[in-house]
Amino acid sequence: MSEALFLSNDALRDLVAGLVAAGTAVIGPAPAGGPSIPGLEERQPPTAKGIYGALEYREVRDADELALGPGMPRLSLKQFFLPQSETLFSWKQRGADVEIRETPIAFNPRVVLGAKPCDAAALEIVDGVMDWEYRDELWNGRREATTIFALACAVEDDHCFCPSVGAAPDTVKGADGLLTPITGGFLVQATTAKGEAFLAANRARFAAPPAGGADEARAYREAALARIGENAQIDAARVRDWIEHHFEDPFWATLGVRCNGCGACTMVCPTCHCFDIVDEEEGVGCGTRRRCWDTCQAGKFTLHASGHNPRADQIARYRQRINHKFAVYPLKFGEVLCTGCGRCVRTCQMGQNIGEILVAIDEYAQRTGESGDASAATGPAAGAAP
Amino acid sequence: MNLYQPQLATVTAVVDETVDTRTFRLEFKDESFAGAFSFRAGQFGEFSVFGAGESTFCIASPPTRRGYIECTVKSAGKVTAELREINVGDTIGFRGPYGNWFPVDEWTGKDLVIVAGGIGLAPVRCVIWNVLDRRAEFGKVTIVYGARSVGDLVYKRELEEWAARDDVTLVTTVDPGGETPDWTGKVGFVTPVVEQASPSAENAVAVLCGPPIVVKMTLPVLGTLGFAPDAVFTTLENRMKCGVGKCGRCNIGPVYVCKDGPVFTAAQLDALPAEF
Amino acid sequence: MKELRDLARQLLADGTVDVVVGWEDSPRGARPIFATTPDDAGKLIFDTRCLHNLATYLNPRRKQVTDLGKLALVIKGCDAKAVAGLLREAQLDRDRVVLIGVRCGGVCEDSMAPEPVALTPETVAPRCFGCDNREPHLVDHLVGDPRPEPPAPLLTLDERVAALDALTPEQRWEYWTAQFDKCVRCYACRQVCPMCVCERCVADKSRPQWIETASHPRGNLSWNVTRALHLAGRCVGCGECERFCPAGIPLATLNRKLQQVVEQRYDYRVADDPEVTAPIGDFRLDDQQEFIK
Repeated sequence: MSEALFLSNDALRDLVAGLVAAGTAVIGPAPAGGPSIPGLEERQPPTAKGIYGALEYREVRDADELALGPGMPRLSLKQFFLPQSETLFSWKQRGADVEIRETPIAFNPRVVLGAKPCDAAALEIVDGVMDWEYRDELWNGRREATTIFALACAVEDDHCFCPSVGAAPDTVKGADGLLTPITGGFLVQATTAKGEAFLAANRARFAAPPAGGADEARAYREAALARIGENAQIDAARVRDWIEHHFEDPFWATLGVRCNGCGACTMVCPTCHCFDIVDEEEGVGCGTRRRCWDTCQAGKFTLHASGHNPRADQIARYRQRINHKFAVYPLKFGEVLCTGCGRCVRTCQMGQNIGEILVAIDEYAQRTGESGDASAATGPAAGAAP
Repeated sequence: MNLYQPQLATVTAVVDETVDTRTFRLEFKDESFAGAFSFRAGQFGEFSVFGAGESTFCIASPPTRRGYIECTVKSAGKVTAELREINVGDTIGFRGPYGNWFPVDEWTGKDLVIVAGGIGLAPVRCVIWNVLDRRAEFGKVTIVYGARSVGDLVYKRELEEWAARDDVTLVTTVDPGGETPDWTGKVGFVTPVVEQASPSAENAVAVLCGPPIVVKMTLPVLGTLGFAPDAVFTTLENRMKCGVGKCGRCNIGPVYVCKDGPVFTAAQLDALPAEF
Repeated sequence: MKELRDLARQLLADGTVDVVVGWEDSPRGARPIFATTPDDAGKLIFDTRCLHNLATYLNPRRKQVTDLGKLALVIKGCDAKAVAGLLREAQLDRDRVVLIGVRCGGVCEDSMAPEPVALTPETVAPRCFGCDNREPHLVDHLVGDPRPEPPAPLLTLDERVAALDALTPEQRWEYWTAQFDKCVRCYACRQVCPMCVCERCVADKSRPQWIETASHPRGNLSWNVTRALHLAGRCVGCGECERFCPAGIPLATLNRKLQQVVEQRYDYRVADDPEVTAPIGDFRLDDQQEFIK
């Protein structure tokens, strides 16, 4: 990390104002907006209940909109790099010929201030597949245009488990720097050349850290690490091993039966990136090709035109989610496709709890000593089971 | 230009193979792309019908023939239904070539046994012509091809060509009840016909492609004939979207069919979970 | 609830059913359980966190549930209305399921609370206001002590609808389109809804593509309005669609409006009696027809 600087709350205001005036979009966690019913604003129950979070990531015009403290923004940063729906190109039919209108792959500069470390880390993990032999220009273009400062996290609740999957409440993976809350503002450190460049370009906003500031920041981060140490701990390698050798285990049936196949977990997940590509006609003989978020939990995800569906029930589909994230992605890209943010747990109304599932698998794998014994009488379902 | 934007191609020929299957010949509009374009037998492309979407087809013409590509399409869903309205002179889109390929170069000096059912002949037609265009490099070539009925046989004209050659052994069959009065080929399902033909596995590789039931029944027969699982090659049809390993749709166990396939050996298929 | 647990154990032990579907406690509040053993049956609970409409598991398309065999289902009054709806629409064989009704005093809004939540105007779920089925009728067994009527919530669904009705059409349009902009097309609303059982949902049909699938405003409007229309006269008001929506769209309000329209025009309230015919499935000569011009 670079030398630590200090950003006071006042200077933060100036920083944001300056960036916005210069045409750089500023994105950060802010109170979840959304229209109230006119006339009922005062009586409207809170739109944001604990489950979904009172915050969302959005573009802000000034620093007063930012909520740089506890709270998990309801959707992750994913939407800013892989939008829910985006145009890939558009076309127009001209007689028998077709004219294609390209979509720009250059993007305006953006800064994220206050990303959850798990959300920033997720971006770096997904970089793996987005660069796998073929380079996805839309994802990469947005990544290149964005400078991300993560905000050291104090741990949201019992359902966070970032250290088990290669992240941490203060990880800088995927980010260009880290903000740590201290008295009067934030300790700021850059961790990449892009982050350094940002600090240099805005040097006037930053001051030398106050006396004791570095110690305060360290204490904050250590407290968070101690707190998360009390949450679910799993050995990701052992879990991966078990999954790879127990594809037919009856354990999977106990999970899939409760699942609705609604896909909410995949939508809120910072690392889920499966997408669909569709053509939409905008008029006669013209239209756009779009890509949009899709979910392996939907029945038609693997449905062939012939009617054959290789994953014909929710048991197979739910197993795919766990398999892809904790066994397949590590195999192909060296990283678990999960940063332990816990959103899926908080979102799933049917009670699918990924922390619980992983702990059950890990404990079972430990009890049996090793992964490969398919003849073992009981699976994780027999233990403290989901 | 981004990864998902297709090249434009003009349809220069259309052949109605059966009542629901057509072969399209395409020439790329962009001359420099056309000039630089090359691929290997077994690779696929994402073909666009603008307004309907994209669909995945193997390139059915061989890499030895330059200047055009061909694909054979059976009408099944939205995009393939639209392709029934596409005529010579129309424009469709192409992204590719994607995927891995049949290791034809490793087969030189060996005998080839090619078994196909129904429209499964399309992906291996590429291999057949690739080999016939380089005939001297390979040993015996045996083709066993069957379909539900005479009307369902694809590439009928090429079947006649192959039958007429004396450096190819061609056995065609139709399912019982699918023959016509003047049918001179065999009558029987592909699997027992392969058993009867009993091609030698010595210094040979097998290529197998067809509907799931044909593949499932024929793989053990090839095993009994002596073909080792890594000497049997097939190509897997699976639901795909991006074709470049990003959208996640074609992931089966540890593989992405669009990147690690679509060509797999029987040994590799055995190692996959039963999700295809 | 001992009565429920004992009943479940008995139904499993004497082979009446293969599985009892109810609620259990979990690391994150109440959630569905598929009890197949006496131990599992011992985990069954019923409290104010049991919001889920378990009738959704009767969807004939849920192969992983139909594979389990004969079911016993624990149902509240709203859930019972959904079961009745499925029976009315011939989506369910009555002898496939044993219905265990629970006497309900209302639920809170958060199934994930660590302890049962005491119901106050602040905590009670708006869906419970005006409930006419706190002791479900469509049952094979009825368990639980009678519970008092739930308190009125701070804001009822009818008040929300009334506030929207008081707006101009332009204002209403703005409100709803802004809400639908947030939709991510996860179809959680459809997946959790016990009445959304179509073998092929209209949104999944591609020939023709009736509803655009991309999550942009035009397609989102199309989807949400179509689903609401398809639920008119069928929605049981369980509110699960709104609870499941990860984007926070007030779907329960939208569906409530359509039920009000049906109630007014056809004098029909969704009931848990499958013999009562619904406007959608029934034609009467004296049906209002002034909208046919």
